[in-house]
Amino acid sequence: MDYYETLNKRIRQFFFPSLTPQFLIRALLVALFAYLFFGHICIPLRIKGYSMEPTYHNGSVNFLWKPHYLFSGPKRHDVVAVRFAGNRVMLLKRVIALEGETVEFRNGRLFVDGGEVKEPYVRYPCNWNLPPRQVEKNCVYVVGDNRNMPIEDHHFGQASMKRIMGIPLW
Amino acid sequence: MVKIKYWIIALLAVAMGIGAAVYLFPRDVRKVKKQFNLLSEWVSKDLGENTFTLAHKTRSLSTLFTEKFEIKTEIESMSGSYSPEEISSYAARGRLMFSYLSLSFHDLDISFPEKGIAKVVLTARLKGRSTAGENFDETHELECILRKIGKKWLFSHVEIVEVLKK
Repeated sequence: MDYYETLNKRIRQFFFPSLTPQFLIRALLVALFAYLFFGHICIPLRIKGYSMEPTYHNGSVNFLWKPHYLFSGPKRHDVVAVRFAGNRVMLLKRVIALEGETVEFRNGRLFVDGGEVKEPYVRYPCNWNLPPRQVEKNCVYVVGDNRNMPIEDHHFGQASMKRIMGIPLW
Repeated sequence: MVKIKYWIIALLAVAMGIGAAVYLFPRDVRKVKKQFNLLSEWVSKDLGENTFTLAHKTRSLSTLFTEKFEIKTEIESMSGSYSPEEISSYAARGRLMFSYLSLSFHDLDISFPEKGIAKVVLTARLKGRSTAGENFDETHELECILRKIGKKWLFSHVEIVEVLKK
């Protein structure tokens, strides 16, 4: 009987804790940590749209890992989040060329500095043609994986490094 | 006696909270944000919106702009100066093409470079469905200039910032 009473008390204490100063401090610290971690370091995001199909699907959930580029810059084939004015709305794109490189599409095939770059993540047929252009300083060239649409309808191009927020966690 | 002490502490905490809110969100910042909320409300269109609401929204929309409102975009045909009446008329015609329209603003960064001028950088998202049933979802970064005319902040200039340069 004593055992059940103690268990009952513990369960009650777990779900309805006494508002002691220690409990309030603990709750405040947890809330502060959650705000900092999920608000500024590992931001939850929901993917909307089809520009990264089939790598990332419309409606899926992920986290944006911001510290990834603290000590190094983006590399080719990295998937990155490009911000607009802030953290609320971002574009998920793949880096295909780095600063100083010349990027070009010929019949859907990617050419960087004149050499063809294989893109295993592009699964859908593509017939894009884009004249060569050089990526400016402190910029990267980003494109979505889904090229199964006219080039005019796809949102892609050169993004400033300042706009690169991080990478999706998976 | 103890109870009075607690009441005083609670009142001080509330007063500090109100003070912090006023300090952190000055009156002009709130007024500028309000203009964006109104713009969002008056541009947006609900499914099955009646003619009375449509007329009210399009008429009200013109009160948010200065006499010479400028738009700067990549699309040459859209760039230029518009009067509040022209904006109202374009909005009324444009709304007829959509069965549903939603304009929302995010991440507003408000600064006051000069007295009577507010510069706002923000993300604008326009979602909707045309009367033909086609869905669209457009997001852009905007740089807006609002001027204080009388007691009201009015939209004077909007420029679409190019996030990805093809």
